[in-house]
Amino acid sequence: MKNFEYARANNPADAVRLVGDRPGATFIAGGTDLLNLMKDGAQTHDRIVDVNGLALTDISHGNGFLRVGALARMADVGAHRAVREKFPVVSQALLASASPQVRNMASIGGNLLQRTRCGYFRDTGSACNKRIPGSGCPAIDGENRGHAVLGVSDHCIAAHPSDLAVSLIAVDAVVLTNGPHGERRIPFGDFHLAPGDTPERENVLTHGELIVGLELPLTPAAAKSQYLKLRDRATFEFAVVSVAAALDLRGRTVNDVRLAFGGIATKPWRSTDAEAVLRGRALDTATIDAAGRAAVHGAIPRAHNAFKIDLVQRALSRVLHELGGVR
Amino acid sequence: MRVNVTINGDQRQADDVWEGESLLYMLRERLGLPGSKNACEQGECGSCTVYLDDVPVCACLVAAGQCQGREVRTVEGLAAGDDLDPVQRSFVEAGAVQCGFCTPGLVVAAHDLLRRVPEPSDPEIREALAGNLCRCTGYEKILDAVRLAATRQASGAEAR
Amino acid sequence: MSPLIGRAVPRVDGHAKVTGGARYAADTHVPGVTYGTLATSTIARGTITTIDTTLAQAVPGVIAVFTHLTMPRLVTPPSPYPKGFVPLQDATIHHNGQPVAYVVAQTLEQAQEAAALIDVRYHAEPAKVAIDDAPGEEFLPPPGPEGPQEFVHGDPAAGLANAHKKVDATYSSPVHHHNPIETSATVAVWDGDQLTLHESTQSISLTQQIVAQALSVPQNTIRVLTPFLGGGFGSKAPVWPHTLLTAAVARQLRKPVKLVLTRAQMYTSSGHRAEFRQQVTVGAAKDGTLTAIVNISNQQLSRTEQRVFNTSESSWMVYGCPNIHAKQLGVRLDLPTPHFMRSPEGPALVGLEMALDELSYELGMDPVALRLKNYTDLNPENGQKIGNQNLPECLKLAGDAFGWSRRNPTPRSMRDGNELIGWGMATEAHSYHARASSAWVQIDTDGHALARCGTQDIGTGTYTVMTQVTAEALGMPMNSVRFELGDTNFPAAGFSAASVTVSSVSGSVDKAARAARDAVIALAVADPHSPLHGAAPDRIVTEHGFLFLTDDRTRRDSYQGVVSRHGKPVEATGSFLNVPGYTTGASFIEVRVDPWLGRVRVTRAVAAYDIGRVMNHRTARSQVLGGMIWGVGYALTEHTMIDRHTARIVNPNLSGYLVPVNADAPKIEAFFVDKPDPTSPVGAKGFGEAPITGVPAAISNAIYHATGRRIRDLPITQDKLL
Repeated sequence: MKNFEYARANNPADAVRLVGDRPGATFIAGGTDLLNLMKDGAQTHDRIVDVNGLALTDISHGNGFLRVGALARMADVGAHRAVREKFPVVSQALLASASPQVRNMASIGGNLLQRTRCGYFRDTGSACNKRIPGSGCPAIDGENRGHAVLGVSDHCIAAHPSDLAVSLIAVDAVVLTNGPHGERRIPFGDFHLAPGDTPERENVLTHGELIVGLELPLTPAAAKSQYLKLRDRATFEFAVVSVAAALDLRGRTVNDVRLAFGGIATKPWRSTDAEAVLRGRALDTATIDAAGRAAVHGAIPRAHNAFKIDLVQRALSRVLHELGGVR
Repeated sequence: MRVNVTINGDQRQADDVWEGESLLYMLRERLGLPGSKNACEQGECGSCTVYLDDVPVCACLVAAGQCQGREVRTVEGLAAGDDLDPVQRSFVEAGAVQCGFCTPGLVVAAHDLLRRVPEPSDPEIREALAGNLCRCTGYEKILDAVRLAATRQASGAEAR
Repeated sequence: MSPLIGRAVPRVDGHAKVTGGARYAADTHVPGVTYGTLATSTIARGTITTIDTTLAQAVPGVIAVFTHLTMPRLVTPPSPYPKGFVPLQDATIHHNGQPVAYVVAQTLEQAQEAAALIDVRYHAEPAKVAIDDAPGEEFLPPPGPEGPQEFVHGDPAAGLANAHKKVDATYSSPVHHHNPIETSATVAVWDGDQLTLHESTQSISLTQQIVAQALSVPQNTIRVLTPFLGGGFGSKAPVWPHTLLTAAVARQLRKPVKLVLTRAQMYTSSGHRAEFRQQVTVGAAKDGTLTAIVNISNQQLSRTEQRVFNTSESSWMVYGCPNIHAKQLGVRLDLPTPHFMRSPEGPALVGLEMALDELSYELGMDPVALRLKNYTDLNPENGQKIGNQNLPECLKLAGDAFGWSRRNPTPRSMRDGNELIGWGMATEAHSYHARASSAWVQIDTDGHALARCGTQDIGTGTYTVMTQVTAEALGMPMNSVRFELGDTNFPAAGFSAASVTVSSVSGSVDKAARAARDAVIALAVADPHSPLHGAAPDRIVTEHGFLFLTDDRTRRDSYQGVVSRHGKPVEATGSFLNVPGYTTGASFIEVRVDPWLGRVRVTRAVAAYDIGRVMNHRTARSQVLGGMIWGVGYALTEHTMIDRHTARIVNPNLSGYLVPVNADAPKIEAFFVDKPDPTSPVGAKGFGEAPITGVPAAISNAIYHATGRRIRDLPITQDKLL
């Protein structure tokens, strides 16, 4: 990989300055995706600022929310009792991610910045609008079985890879940051960007802005939530499609519901349309099917990924039947 | 830079290290410890699994600069002299070793599992070892080995 | 004493492997070693117009950058070198990932940074990478080492015309990559005009030969060492360009050079299983007797090599049929040369075994009964026996253990909750080659034996099994015997591929050990100080390190006693050429399918094989377990994806190319007929690659039984079952 300078930050302000100062600098936490991207040449930096020394690993209760430090490791968060009990969907998404070794290393903050597994993006021998804006997208007419059908543009159809992010958007998490312009609270739904005509921009962070934590609001729906991940081998693989669902039933009626999807979209995909179909209605197979149709409305299939439109509706149906106890 | 790191209980120094090279490279090419294997460089196979501050990680995904002052334990550090760790002994006796290239990483991962979960169920074993690919064994004897090691540890604990 | 051969002894190299002590090629420590890396082409077809290495040369630590303009000239070795060309000799690009520069630096990171800075400009030409890209371009390649590419027996058209029932279907499988966990590595060390290669190879002797040809040096100036190999599966059986280039670069620089291929480079540097498509037509009489087998196949070849690596031999070897037509067409594409991959009979057998399952439904006949009706032990080419006589026993052993007789053949007849359950089976078959081998055995004055053979242990257990063979032939305990391999200074043996090692090497090791034993017996009977003095040599047996007179066991001596009195070690050699043969078996598979989500799990597998005498029940069983998981990957997950426009592989890694993980592994039972093969001194047949050959078909057949869906295009991913 390209040579770079390594620096260690002792506090958040230090970290923000060390990256903010230099256009080619970036943060490293777990490094499980960043180092691969740099080895592949998909991303280059002339300075890497190690933030692992910052005290950002706590998981603590706040007033109506759970706060998770950005440097808490995926394994620790996934196994944390409060996460398992209050946000099963988050715990399940984390434990279905990657491998035990990678979960031991990877940070929660870093996971949100994980980049697509699109083979063209990671291959410097191929064109890619995300890597080199304007160079073209071979995936649109190429090997796109793993690619997105929602949130796509003429410039990019790469699927977002994170399971965690899908679960977080389903529970309305808030991303807490600290940057050159001070602190920010970013609602999860506003954090990631669809590619549009700037596929190189994947989120709203400004240069030097550091994720310091997450807030997860405690809700009845989040406490009754589930993550279903479908993949081509039993474990240790990115999602073909995934569903994060949080459901609050009053009797048979849907009081509150949050639905998000992975593997099918260019960013963690929340479907408020599908939620609207369910909210206030009795949960039954017909309503669930209608919600599924709403979730994939506007999907654009390509040569090899049309099946995802069908499969994700089936996955949603399976989850809601199980979560809602519908036969 | 000079990296000071404790490896298998010994204080070690590596000189002229570039902070961006991997811990795996430092172990194999600079410190004379080639037991941890390089097979994918991407955290996709588990062959380079080592303990870093007592937590199993992929050594290929740790930058050498991140190891300053930390503790590393590799497959070379599991046995006490000629006395194999029960996990190592079980891998040999259960026939969980074929070509042997995935073995160092698997042994470390299995060792970690049995420290945390002394009597793991089969699904727990499969999940704990999900990050370690093997192309020879079909995994069944690896499961046998972990079960055998668990039994051994349990009976060893009773004997004490 | 019960024989050592057959006993399930643990691996003798197990200790070294669980402690990190086993030294593989890339583990070799050489003082002053430098690091090589390859820069590779980003186009599949065309020419290099300019190549600028200025920035690369300026990276600190870089020692040299070789391009086709500066690389030492090499000779293209003849077959079996499979490439047909040596890279870095001219500007022509034959496939994506072809080396375009070789960088050497003080550290690997420096070499890799420099390689990324090389600016290569190409004149690119349109490339074809899939069979579908080249309709009508298929042709009948010339005969290869395995014989002609077309086989006709009887009158297939008449056989089909007379059939009571017929199946005519097309089956396809994609490009697969071996993906041994160890990527290929070479460490080249020159000392004057002597070269030592620490190499990850399935054939040290072939490496010695091919490197000598490429470098135009005498073969005996090259020593190749492979004490351990991290799996090969065919990818390391031939010699590939990176080895030739590393040897040449190290000679030019007068420095030791270490090159380890990256995982991504393994996808373009060491062969693959070619994309394969076959039309299989089978016909049968009312009673199930086959009236015709027709298999017309097409597979990918490269622009520079037309050898056919997926073989259709099983189309005429397993089942007796009066009318057979097998034709192996090939099509040249702009891809790297494919190669053998565990197991080259697999693709054709997958089609045949799926077609027979379909035929069994057409006939309303049990699929096992259909196979029992038609199996043969005669090669239709020459009428010779092939060693398939125990297939019925295999079918019975595995079928009974599986519970096949309880199967209701109706699809979708078994269900458990959300899941449909299906049972399927297939015959498995693999031919093993003949290879000459030689071995040397020495008995030292301390009574210990050392055996050496220039063979390889690719993970299958050569160290262990040959220690058993040596110890049994000598009549010594295993811990008195040390077996060494993987060094071209040892007596030569063939490659460790095509399931040949055990059947070939066991013969020479056994002979050498028996000759050494006989020499010690001769010393004993001639030695006035021996209790055996004057005895007839043929009345003496050896057991557990001792020599006994058979009719008076109180008269005994020991190896240590005889050889120490002799005052110097006793040594002997042995040579052997094994008889090639055929190994068959059967696998029975249970799958569970979630039809709503298209998810398939293989939950149970039972298999039985006739492998001659079982040399070690533990290592033999391991081959079954490993072959079974290969079959799972073949049927369900493995698929190298190549972009039809860019001609680049889009999943050259272990996260996109899905090797099965632990949780994909079914519960497996393995059985062996365990009857000695008469052509082998120790009774062994070749075995390693037989398990896997029928497994993908058995899985597909089980999925049909579970769901009623016949998927003829592998892998069977969930989208195909929705």
